[in-house]
Amino acid sequence: MKTKEKQVKSHYDKIAHTTVYSLGFIGVIILTMVIIYVTMTGISLVNWDLISGDSQDINTNVYLTESQGQYIAQTNLDDDIYYSKVWGLGFIDSTDREGHAIVEIAYIHPDSPFIMSLDKNNNDENGNPVVIELTEDTAIEKAIFNNFTLFTFYTDGAEVMRDAFDQATQIDDVTVQVVGGGIRGSLITTLWMIVITLILAIPIGVSTAIYFNEFSKKSKFSDLIRTLVDMLTGVPSIIYGLLGAAVFIPLLNATGLTAGGSILSGALTMAVILLPTIIKSTEEALKIIPNDLRQGSLALGANQTQTIFKVVLPNATPGILTGVLLGIGRIMGESAALIFAVGAVTKDTVVLTERSSTLAVHIWVIMGGEAPNYELASAIAIIMLVFVFIINFVVKIFAKRLQKNMNWS
Amino acid sequence: MNKIEKQNKVVFELKNINLFYDDFQAIKDITMNINANEVTAFIGPSGCGKSTFIRILNRMNDLIPSCEITGDVLFKQKDAYNKDFDVIELRSKVGMVFQKPNPFPMSIYDNIAYGPKCQGIRDKKALDEIVESSLKKAALWNEVSDRLKKSAMSLSGGQQQRLCIARTIAMKPEVILMDEPTSALDPVSTSKIEDLINELKNDYTIVIVTHNMQQAARISDRTAFFLLGELIEFDDTTKIFSKPIHKKTEDYITGRFG
Amino acid sequence: MQAVKSYVSEKSIKKKNRLDFVFRNIFRLTAILSASIVIVVIIVIAVRGITPFIQSYTGYNNITGEVILSPVNPFKFLVKSQWLEGAVGASSDYGIGFAIINTMIAVFLSIMITVPVAVVTALLIAKVAPKKISSFLRTVVELLASIPSIIYGVIGLGVITNFVNWIGGLFNYQTAAGLSLLSTVLVLFMMTLPTITAVAETSIRAVKNDIIEGSLALAATNMQTYFKVVLSSAKSGIFAGVILGVGRALGEATAVSMVSGNSFSGVTLNPLATTSTLTSRMLLGIKETSGIDYDIRFSVGLVLMLMILITNVVLKAVMKKVGNLDEN
Repeated sequence: MKTKEKQVKSHYDKIAHTTVYSLGFIGVIILTMVIIYVTMTGISLVNWDLISGDSQDINTNVYLTESQGQYIAQTNLDDDIYYSKVWGLGFIDSTDREGHAIVEIAYIHPDSPFIMSLDKNNNDENGNPVVIELTEDTAIEKAIFNNFTLFTFYTDGAEVMRDAFDQATQIDDVTVQVVGGGIRGSLITTLWMIVITLILAIPIGVSTAIYFNEFSKKSKFSDLIRTLVDMLTGVPSIIYGLLGAAVFIPLLNATGLTAGGSILSGALTMAVILLPTIIKSTEEALKIIPNDLRQGSLALGANQTQTIFKVVLPNATPGILTGVLLGIGRIMGESAALIFAVGAVTKDTVVLTERSSTLAVHIWVIMGGEAPNYELASAIAIIMLVFVFIINFVVKIFAKRLQKNMNWS
Repeated sequence: MNKIEKQNKVVFELKNINLFYDDFQAIKDITMNINANEVTAFIGPSGCGKSTFIRILNRMNDLIPSCEITGDVLFKQKDAYNKDFDVIELRSKVGMVFQKPNPFPMSIYDNIAYGPKCQGIRDKKALDEIVESSLKKAALWNEVSDRLKKSAMSLSGGQQQRLCIARTIAMKPEVILMDEPTSALDPVSTSKIEDLINELKNDYTIVIVTHNMQQAARISDRTAFFLLGELIEFDDTTKIFSKPIHKKTEDYITGRFG
Repeated sequence: MQAVKSYVSEKSIKKKNRLDFVFRNIFRLTAILSASIVIVVIIVIAVRGITPFIQSYTGYNNITGEVILSPVNPFKFLVKSQWLEGAVGASSDYGIGFAIINTMIAVFLSIMITVPVAVVTALLIAKVAPKKISSFLRTVVELLASIPSIIYGVIGLGVITNFVNWIGGLFNYQTAAGLSLLSTVLVLFMMTLPTITAVAETSIRAVKNDIIEGSLALAATNMQTYFKVVLSSAKSGIFAGVILGVGRALGEATAVSMVSGNSFSGVTLNPLATTSTLTSRMLLGIKETSGIDYDIRFSVGLVLMLMILITNVVLKAVMKKVGNLDEN
């Protein structure tokens, strides 16, 4: 080969190499972009309050009967806390989870009269107003003083609000807000969804796989059943959502337990979606177990049922667990099906017979509409991704262990 | 070229070759020459290293990461394992036919044209000519000339192996290496290919690994007997098979082991 | 000699056999149950989906009050270029034709860009890259596969639509905040890439070593061997992966709904304009869970299932034909 040909050839070779590496790394770029975007946008919101808080704002109206005094701050307060000596309250500018500016109570003097403020809207059994203990990290939406002559709103900012409080001699109405945007309800819903779905899907899935692998003989009937089960994977999950809406919701309604969508109808739907995954993983796990094991058990006088439960299934457990873990990931991530089979509503109190949203549906709710909350969505996404990646990691370790165990045959 | 000149032309010089797979030594200090336009046969029992050794000649061992070679491999007096020696160029001059026929899942035509196309030959007329002449040289043209565009997988085992030989010839090599080319074929195909080898040696140098001693005796000019990674004896075929010098050679040829 | 008392008595044997019988049937019944789900799905979607075509719904009109709506015309439904003519709940003039074509366009475009990238990535993982890079890349692909589609939707809204909007700016085209066919295609690309890459990798690995050796012995370079011999040998496996990817893209709902713009009418050919898919038309705009506007989504679901079925059949037939060309 002449040198020029050689050069041209290695030139093409280099181009091929560069192309392959560049195109091949697009996947890495995508993954990095997803992780970086989600983290940068949402990390500021991820804290315990997010996980434990309600999604709705809760407003309470309080008023006081005590008049003012003088309350010197007990600790050194930061510069950004505006302290009203008159009432013993320190205000700070902050943002809620939607990024709106709010004014929060950063510090309450232990003797401040606001410690024992009275709820305007609720009376106890004796007809006396319920006592509300004001705490830090609540927000003040608005306040009305001095016989409805002086007002201040959260839009004024912390400093102006403090000044207004300083001028107040009578507290008529203070709207106190526990800021929402928390995801406790959705977290709990997701956990319940996982548990109930697995309770439904695992027995049926494992059972079906046992039938396929341990019992069925070659026949038109078993071929038919197998084909039908294989078809389950080809159906997109939104169609299963329609199934949930058309079958499971009315079914549960007929029992009188529910009225409309519910976590239960969602779990039934998710169980159907998970079924193929569980069946497949279990079948793979059962296939790996050598027949010698089964025959040994039968030779000792055990019947097939005992063999299955005492010998085969325990050895298939890692494989089944793999399928379960993958299923958990799917439950966490499913959105379209649950929008139909449950509904797209976020809740703070989770009731199994009522609608509620999983984390994924919660994201759908807050991203829909005119003011999508990217920060909150990203924060939830961070939590979801962490779980999903951990599950992935665990499945990989399981797969490696399975490989090692295979060598004993 | 008269016979004396032919005998003086050495294609491969191999000096003190040792080959290791990690710690295992598969080839132990072998020195030998391969002459031009001859058929050199490598014989020996299974695992003696003859297949490993023949792959040194076209650097197929490069594909195995744990493989290390020491010694000199000179192809036409140039160091074939030198960094500056282009392995692609070596393989274009030293072709290989494998034990199990391995045609590509493409048409017969595309199989033969594959090598030249990779070298940059695009002209259809040139390729047509190469395909025809290679198939003729491999004694396959008459059987496939009317179905060149059909898949190579539709050929019989013997035809596929001749296709692989044609494919190698299309590269216009100087040496053709054959690693047990007939061990997967029936006797009729085997004898067709043996006849082919006899003709090919006029134009090419042939090195053939075979576990069939009779085949070596039939078709080769010189024979090398390998045992456990060592070269026991290397001489004219007639000498090896009638008056071997080493006892081990005699034991193998007379069937006492192997 | 004392007789050894056996553990096994006739009673216990009978009990065991009864147990076997019971469980054998339990397993069989659950398998039948699993198999029947598909049938139930088909029947339910078909029934609920056909209902709007045969039932007269009661609509409500602001002007005349209650109104009887005529059943939806199935032919018009399949061909019409606008989702709804008239007010929601007051009209039964629905159409899905435009969304059928838009869906096909979006899926086709996304497959066009996904397949080359996926195949090359698979080649990189299976053959070209050294072990450590290869297993790193494989992990990346697995992680990408496990990301829920809603998160791809968030990325779509947060990153991709902004990118498309910027591109629109370059051409002086006003996009709908980036909601567009292009965004849809890019999102589908991200989501189907891991699926096709994984299947392609398996197919490439399965290519027999002797063909690779044969190619190298003919003085081909590694790259030439991979592109000319390995890929063509892995063809049918890769095609199967493509069919899988197409199925996923057709059925993808949430992420696509978030970035497509869910256009109301018309076939979208301009990548910067909003489009819609069958799934986005199903998922968005749900106001009530009864009435014609809700039930029509089942009809769309029926069309979706038919589309997936037909696509699968056609693609599998194509795959066979291409495979047969090889054999002969």
